[in-house]
Amino acid sequence: MKILIVTDWGWPEMLWVALISICLVFFVLVLLVGVMKCFGLVFARRQPSVAAAPSGRVVVQGQVHEEEIAAIATALDLYRSAMHDRESEVLTILSIKRAYSPWNSKIHGLTQLPDRK
Amino acid sequence: MGNLLTSGSDFVSESLLKFVESTGVAGFFTQMGWGSVVMLGVACFLMYLAIRHKFEPLLLFTIAFGMLLTNLPGADLYHTELFEGGHVHWDIFVANAGLLDYLYLGVKLGIYPCLIFVGVGAMTDFGPLIANPKSFLLGAAAQVGIFVTFLGAYALGFTPTQAGSIGIIGGADGPTAIYLTSMLSPELLGPIAVAAYSYMALVPVIQPPIMRLLTTEKERKIKMRTLRPVSKLERILFPIIIAVIISLLLPSAAPLIGCLMLGNLMKECGVVDRLSKTVQNELMNIVVIFLGLTVGATATAEAFLNFRTLGILVLGVVAFCMGTAGGLLLAKLMNLFCKEENKINPLIGSAGVSAVPMAARVSQTEGQKADPSNYLLMHAMGPNVAGVVGSAVAAGILLSFLG
Repeated sequence: MKILIVTDWGWPEMLWVALISICLVFFVLVLLVGVMKCFGLVFARRQPSVAAAPSGRVVVQGQVHEEEIAAIATALDLYRSAMHDRESEVLTILSIKRAYSPWNSKIHGLTQLPDRK
Repeated sequence: MGNLLTSGSDFVSESLLKFVESTGVAGFFTQMGWGSVVMLGVACFLMYLAIRHKFEPLLLFTIAFGMLLTNLPGADLYHTELFEGGHVHWDIFVANAGLLDYLYLGVKLGIYPCLIFVGVGAMTDFGPLIANPKSFLLGAAAQVGIFVTFLGAYALGFTPTQAGSIGIIGGADGPTAIYLTSMLSPELLGPIAVAAYSYMALVPVIQPPIMRLLTTEKERKIKMRTLRPVSKLERILFPIIIAVIISLLLPSAAPLIGCLMLGNLMKECGVVDRLSKTVQNELMNIVVIFLGLTVGATATAEAFLNFRTLGILVLGVVAFCMGTAGGLLLAKLMNLFCKEENKINPLIGSAGVSAVPMAARVSQTEGQKADPSNYLLMHAMGPNVAGVVGSAVAAGILLSFLG
């Protein structure tokens, strides 16, 4: 849907279009910020125990607590102890050439057709 | 007998001559100017960048191969005259169209970019954006580059529609740039697609100097609060709400945003795993092949080798730089009004230029250079995906004003 019907474009029209466009981008995205904020508030109220840290402390990035270190160490230990030697999963069938022998010949194993004489 | 042999040899020599004249080898000497030779060189150079240096290889490689095919004489795979004047000439289409003409219909009718957006949506995690909605503002600020470049392109003599298409390079979003350009100025599709994807690959080169120039060491060391966990219900409702709001406000952005959110909902709802995997892999890959080939095919010598292309390449860098600076500066401005524990590391502002996830990775790398214990990646993903939404909104607005 075309909004503007401009036949003679000049600098004033271009400047207005640029200005209105950037304002519209901000308007739409600020509106989305507002909607998402409300959205977040509703969900934060629904799940207070998940959203907040257990002790009410502010969790700062880079700070690792003792319990977390213990959990990571246990997980690593369990992971390493569960590992086994990896075997090669490549199966190779080698072709073998045998000398001809009537004992394994297919043609001699077939029932011969009756020979009418 | 002798007469028969003479007329036979005439027929053979005449047929052979016609055959030789019809080959592309003869075309090299008769139809091809220096322009096509240069374009073949450009195609080979782009393929070298894609294969050797892995510069956005998925698209740059196919674009370069399309460019190679279209500039080979005699192949007749793509005909510019079928799409002259910005619309498809259906009356002569079936009689004259080559393979790439048929595939190009997907670009011309705006189908491929939207299908790619379905795949992008299915691969995108909007969690960081839902957890920190302020990221939308950084995504909006990074779109400043689009509009500054829009004015810059007009100053260089481009028409308003062409200026809009060039400006969208600053959105750093390939499908959006292709979508808008195919609607506003299809004659510039080749140079704009090449510029957009080349600069997206060069984000790790273009952005860091600007990031270091506009931020202080102290700002780069800011550690941000851990993001709150986002529930599954929030993740499911987010794409529905965004699609409805943006489609109601900006119907022209509805195809892009609608497809992006459709893909995301497929991923988040968890009940259509097969569809989600298909759009992320098979559909996406097929469309990327068609899109790349046909966009490359539009880069004929006449369309590509002129001063306009040079102008587009220069304006493309300007758009990227301005977008990066816009995001960084808004993050700094927001810090003036934030409490100490809610401060934003301005480095994540540069990720607002879209280019998912490369721009977010650049923020992370630069943040770790200042402080190796600082992890900005998840924080930067917020503005990064907000940039995708922002550039689609900007494209919709430009389409409404100029289309």
